[in-house]
Amino acid sequence: MRLNSIEELRELRRSLAEAPAPERRLWVCGGPGCLASGALDVFRAVEAACREEGFSDGVRFRADLSGCLGLCERGPLVEVEPEGWLYGGVKPGDARELVRETLAGGRFVERLAADPKCREKDSIAFYLPQKRLIMGRFGRTRPESLTDYLAAGGYSALELALSELGPEEAFRRVELSGLRGRGGGGFPAGRKWRALKEARGRPRYLIANGDEGDPGAFMNRALMEGDPLSVIEGMTIGAFAMGAEEGFVYVRHEYPLSVERLNGCVKAAEDMGLLGSRILGLDFGFRLRIVEGGGAFVCGESTALTASIEGREGQPRVKYVRTTEAGLWEKPTLLQNVESWANVPMIVKNGPDWFRETGSAENPGTKVFSLVGKVRRTGLVELPLGSSVGSLVNGAGGGVPKGRRFKAVQSGGPSGGCLPESALELPLDFDALAGAGAMMGSGGLIVMDDLSCLVDTARYFTAFLSGESCGKCAPCREGLPVILEVLTDMTEGRARVGDTDFLESQARMLAATALCGLGKSAANPVLSTLRYFREEYLEHEGGFCRSGRCSGMYLPVVDGKACRACGACQKACPAGAVEGSGKEPRRVAADKCVTCGACLAACSFEAVKARRRPEGGPDARTA
Amino acid sequence: MPGQLETPRPGNGRGPGAPPASPQPEPPRSATPLLVEGTVNGIRISVPKGTTLLRAARLCGVEIPTLCHHEGLPPEGSCRLCVAEIRGQLAVSCMFPLRDDGFKALTDTPAVMDARRYVLSLLINRAPKAPRIRKLADEYGVAPDPRFMKDPDGCVRCGRCVRACRANGPEAIALAGRGFGRSVTGPFRKPPEACIGCLACALCCPTGKITFAEKDGARRIWDREFSLAPCPECGARVFTAEQIAFYGGSASAACPSCRKKLMASELKKAAAYEAPDGLPLP
Ligand SMILES: Cc1cc2nc3c(=O)[nH]c(=O)nc-3n(C[C@H](O)[C@H](O)[C@H](O)COP(=O)(O)O)c2cc1C
Ligand code: SF4
Ligand code: SF4
Ligand code: SF4
Ligand code: SF4
Ligand code: FES
Ligand code: FES
Repeated sequence: MRLNSIEELRELRRSLAEAPAPERRLWVCGGPGCLASGALDVFRAVEAACREEGFSDGVRFRADLSGCLGLCERGPLVEVEPEGWLYGGVKPGDARELVRETLAGGRFVERLAADPKCREKDSIAFYLPQKRLIMGRFGRTRPESLTDYLAAGGYSALELALSELGPEEAFRRVELSGLRGRGGGGFPAGRKWRALKEARGRPRYLIANGDEGDPGAFMNRALMEGDPLSVIEGMTIGAFAMGAEEGFVYVRHEYPLSVERLNGCVKAAEDMGLLGSRILGLDFGFRLRIVEGGGAFVCGESTALTASIEGREGQPRVKYVRTTEAGLWEKPTLLQNVESWANVPMIVKNGPDWFRETGSAENPGTKVFSLVGKVRRTGLVELPLGSSVGSLVNGAGGGVPKGRRFKAVQSGGPSGGCLPESALELPLDFDALAGAGAMMGSGGLIVMDDLSCLVDTARYFTAFLSGESCGKCAPCREGLPVILEVLTDMTEGRARVGDTDFLESQARMLAATALCGLGKSAANPVLSTLRYFREEYLEHEGGFCRSGRCSGMYLPVVDGKACRACGACQKACPAGAVEGSGKEPRRVAADKCVTCGACLAACSFEAVKARRRPEGGPDARTA
Repeated sequence: MPGQLETPRPGNGRGPGAPPASPQPEPPRSATPLLVEGTVNGIRISVPKGTTLLRAARLCGVEIPTLCHHEGLPPEGSCRLCVAEIRGQLAVSCMFPLRDDGFKALTDTPAVMDARRYVLSLLINRAPKAPRIRKLADEYGVAPDPRFMKDPDGCVRCGRCVRACRANGPEAIALAGRGFGRSVTGPFRKPPEACIGCLACALCCPTGKITFAEKDGARRIWDREFSLAPCPECGARVFTAEQIAFYGGSASAACPSCRKKLMASELKKAAAYEAPDGLPLP
């Protein structure tokens, strides 16, 4: 069906609103995390059970796949509508019970509760500090369904822009909203929009950056697969407000499902007259193409990304012209992260004042964070910007599990930075994080406990970035391996005196001279850990790793007073180096210990501690 | 696919490739002043708008070391040696366009020197024997460091050879691989099949990494052998048969000095018909 006027769109929306809703629905989470933990099998089993029970018409009872429900760690999750219950760790074998008891019977299955304390999703501690706007439709619509999107209020912003606001007012709303780019730097979207609007030359291009190369991050994937139409609608509004003819969504190579969903939605929107030429019968057209990424981290960088879309090798270029003046094919181009685009419909529909009610003055709105590492609950968390880091780590995340201590939180992806405990007070916003030496990046946060070694963490990220360096410019290509070499020496007990200072100067020079953002920011892991954990570097220089992470550079010692003789360390030790039995405190036999760190992690009472080796330097056998 | 092109071409199967036809012609840029004026190290100069900082500096007689830059090739700004300070920031002078009046560039501040020293300290470990790199390293007081000398293969990855080959047409070689492992090679890391033995790459190389040899009317380069065709005029062996074929056959097969002579006699003939008053003949 093609809509030929705004009136026809309104008509369709009215008829969708009047359509009878099912009495109860199961939303099996089809987000990236749950898919990885087997959600598709669960969904198939639920579908089969529905057929058995005769619910396959989906009228009264139905089951569907949803976007990421957030608490990925407990996946596969199933949410029950309208009760709002949340099940976790669901197996295909639970499907029949879910369908009979819950879907048809309306009874809660205690055994499958996602949280032992409460049934309703919204009262689980993980969700309490959250404000789900970007993820607002996750678990309410089928991600690939245009009618679901329309029924849930989708395309009402475009409708408003086309019918009442006009391009000028739609543009003004975004400009006044104070929206800042969600792709990392937090650049004011309004400034870029104005630059494109006032740029000379046609055609003009819009690009959505969905490259998301950060290892382990998947908030953009969750968005592209959970609510792809919000990105598409945002770009269409952008095209109307700024006057652009064509757009691209650049999707990470490893995200075939994102590509499939986006393509499906583009097709559906075109068929309905919401995309393509003569949108809603008006003299306004916008063509959107989905492009698969070039498969390298650096392809997320703007000049590499444009080169890749143009069909060339995805490699950064030196540019002294703004992309809004000369981007794709040297034409005015606006690049925004997919989440930035997904904010646009909300802003245009509800106005800048509404948007500014959430978040802080300089950082309005929400941001989706991925919380991983040493916390009780991990997953995707959407918080108002300006919430404290602590509300994410200790609130949503539930803090570091018992028996361990918080040490640092790494924010901003591989080229982000590590912040110490004092950072828990910091507001989660672009400026505070950058000021502290980390960055917002795409919103990845990794919590580290006292067993994480910051030198080793810096080594890990440097190794990643060194592997992703495109090799074009000398500082990044040759300089990152130098930094990596020193870090490796440090974690393997070969450090030389003065290496800490040497690292610092190398990192500073790399940041000052590299060609593109990758190299410029690749020094952050080293610089931020040096800023807050310099002592650990100096200890490594002297052959000691206090975290018990770097093999051969410590000796586990059992504190006789703290030891409760539970024997956990003894069980964990692969070398039989822990001695003692019954009620006596355990001891470590230094000559047998291979410094694997298992005992440190096994003890719940902080009784096993990493101590400097008596001989001072690193252990000769492992070094 | 070797190298990159500056102009759009059909996609490589990933990107959508060539841009859609422009629906309307670009409006003409407004008339702008053609010259911009400013200083390099305090020396006043005015240059056509868009001139690179490097060129302006050279016009002022200010020397800036370069490595990946070559006057005859499109710039790339990848070695980062030619940095200078402008508006309080480091810029690669070989690509920085001077667009505004009142620019003030400095090429010898401590930040600039540190940056060059850093770049050279890295590159000297790649090409510790190359005279030009050694000379620069000496000038800036840096020395090779065995601790970080992981692959001193004599190439500083400046890409001049690749750009020279592309500019000449064959596009036989490219920088392939990423990061530290990036290196110049033919397709699939094999001797470049498209090579015509023109030597452009070797002559542009600042380190002498690309070697070639000529013996018994044959030229060896890139592990390939080319026979040198005799000049139809004097018999000197200058061009490879592949070169002659690549540039359109035997007509251009004369060696450069014979070609010069031939051209001069052609011009003389032409001038005999219409020599303008007072102009010297070529
Ligand atoms: C090495 C590198 C990788 C990047 N990767 C991404 C990415 O995956 N997604 C993204 O949105 N931006 C990425 N960026 C930032 C983009 O270049 C660009 O600033 C951003 O997409 C602009 O959108 P925004 O203003 O909405 O944030 C990357 C930058 C660099 C230097
Ligand atoms: S900084 Fe690294 S990724 Fe960027 S151009 Fe240089 S080598 Fe390539
Ligand atoms: S570090 Fe590993 S080998 Fe050593 S005592 Fe602990 S568990 Fe055993
Ligand atoms: S010698 Fe071969 S590789 Fe070198 S520039 Fe000529 S054609 Fe290219
Ligand atoms: S071979 Fe020579 S010209 Fe080519 S990249 Fe290496 S140093 Fe530069
Ligand atoms: S993927 Fe299911 S909760 Fe995130
Ligand atoms: S000469 Fe300018 S960057 Fe290499």
